[in-house]
Amino acid sequence: EVPPSCTRGCELCSEYNGCLKCMPKLFILLERNDIRQIGVCLASCPVGYFGVRNPDMNKCNKCRIENCEDCFSRNFCTKCKEGLYAHKGRCYPSCPDGFSLTNGTTECTS
Amino acid sequence: PRRTAAKGLRHGGCPSRCHCEADGARLRVDCSDLGLTALPANLSVFTSYLDLSMNSLAPLTAGALAEFRFLEELRLAGNGLTHIPEGAFSGLGGLKVLMLQNNQLQRVPCEALQNLRNLQSFRLDANHIHSAPPGCFHGLVSLRHLWLDDNALTEVPVQALAELSSLQAMTLALNKIRHIPDHAFANLSSLVVLHLHNNKIHSLGEKCFDGLRSLETLDLNYNSLLDFPFAIKALTNLKELSFHSNNIRSIPEKAFTGNPSLQMILFYDNPIKFVGKSAFQHLPELRMLSLNRASEITEFPDLTGTTSLESLTITRARLSSLPGTLCDHLTKLQVLDLSYNIIQDLPSFSSCRKIQKIDLHHNEILEVRAGTFQGLMELRSLDLSWNRVRSVEPHAFADLPLLSKLDLSSNALSSLPTAGLGGLTHLKLSGNGDLRELMSAEDFPKLRVMEMPYAFQCCAFVACERSAKLWDTEESSGRELQSRRDADIAHVLNRPEEDYSLEDLLLELEENPKSKQSVQCSPAPGPFRPCHHL
Repeated sequence: EVPPSCTRGCELCSEYNGCLKCMPKLFILLERNDIRQIGVCLASCPVGYFGVRNPDMNKCNKCRIENCEDCFSRNFCTKCKEGLYAHKGRCYPSCPDGFSLTNGTTECTS
Repeated sequence: PRRTAAKGLRHGGCPSRCHCEADGARLRVDCSDLGLTALPANLSVFTSYLDLSMNSLAPLTAGALAEFRFLEELRLAGNGLTHIPEGAFSGLGGLKVLMLQNNQLQRVPCEALQNLRNLQSFRLDANHIHSAPPGCFHGLVSLRHLWLDDNALTEVPVQALAELSSLQAMTLALNKIRHIPDHAFANLSSLVVLHLHNNKIHSLGEKCFDGLRSLETLDLNYNSLLDFPFAIKALTNLKELSFHSNNIRSIPEKAFTGNPSLQMILFYDNPIKFVGKSAFQHLPELRMLSLNRASEITEFPDLTGTTSLESLTITRARLSSLPGTLCDHLTKLQVLDLSYNIIQDLPSFSSCRKIQKIDLHHNEILEVRAGTFQGLMELRSLDLSWNRVRSVEPHAFADLPLLSKLDLSSNALSSLPTAGLGGLTHLKLSGNGDLRELMSAEDFPKLRVMEMPYAFQCCAFVACERSAKLWDTEESSGRELQSRRDADIAHVLNRPEEDYSLEDLLLELEENPKSKQSVQCSPAPGPFRPCHHL
């Protein structure tokens, strides 16, 4: 029985910091709660985070690409903020030279 | 119950226990983690987002979702699904995101994918997929992002992938792939990111990356590569290449001539012994180069055309000399670490105008001349410890306004010119047995940490009455504080480059202005090493 402070999918739970280790295949997301970090186990990372799978741990990492809402990896954006255009995993106010918008989308192609 | 809210609904109710939100005229429905075994009843046809992950759904049936023509995102992760029948997604022509990760699929459910013409993101990671037959992805003409990591693939599904000319990002990491054949990704002309880390790749076809003309990031970490990945020569737009944690023994001459846009190359944790002198030429975008333990390097690399380096590390090699033109290509260099070599003579570093940190410890340097470090207006830290320095010319440090850390410990000094050292906060001279001269506190107004060869040299910096009492506490805490400081800096240097950033290291150099303390001088004078006779 997992103590109340841990969500489903937790393998090692701490009363103070939530989940310390998730079950295989799940991602651990460290949420901040005041000065504490609370571990939560998820099947997929929330918007604004991308999952990194490794043999010993799967982790949600914050997406830090400029003007980006959601990422595939540390340097590839899958969804730009409103009003910006995606090109090769980056977000631009307008399409780079030599590229134009694909009709009906917010993506630049040659 | 956790979820009954249904905000602003106009098109049909919200399935019981689910959480619904209006999305303009559409509806976002979250029924995740409710223990469901079947699709919830009372789902609105205007549903655009449906999250059914982390339930226990029975296998989908053909046409089960056909009426949800507005569905754009469908999440079915973590349901233990073993197969998905043909027609399961029929009617979902508008679907853009499909998440099937963390199920029990043994193969890609090809039959169910045939008419998903608008699908852009497809997650199949964390299943047990061992194959993706030819034609499997036929029809996914809009697919941009594909996750196949953490499965059981033993080879690259070359023919299946050949149909994905719009694909931009793909991960095949954490599989059991052993070899990448020639032309494995030939049609993926739009691919920008390719992750292959944590496989068992021991060999690459010479042309295995041909066709990837848009590729910017290639991750080959944690594999079993024995040879340098020559196939990268086809990747003319590559910006980030990492192949750390493999078994590669050498980096050949002109290794990266096909990759002029490279900004980052990570290859630590390889038994690299030989590095071609021209290996790192003509990389005008490269910011950081780190070579550790390449013990067969005897000559400083030729960095012609590599003009943007900010951090250069070549440690534990056998460099015995440095070219006089060293700084000609390194005008943007901020951190230089050439420790653990056999360098005897130093050229002038004056043209390295941006340099902030120089590590030359554990070499065989004999002297420091006036022109060696002249005019380095940004230099903050200079480590020359563990050399054979016998003499320092009078104005060797005269022109270094920001120098705050100087380590000359464990050398052969008998005197030290103090011109220009007024800004020091850390001065280390221990291990210079012939250095007996007394230093004046006025010469070092900002000093906070000092290590001297003899205790009496600390008397000028630590008030004598207090020294007896402090002897016990300061002796231990001073060394303890210093070893923790060194450990911090060593930790920064040895941390895997993956999350090592130049800012971290430079921050280490910033002194914390708030912490005003007395000078911590060691060895501290005490009952058995009195000051009062001076």
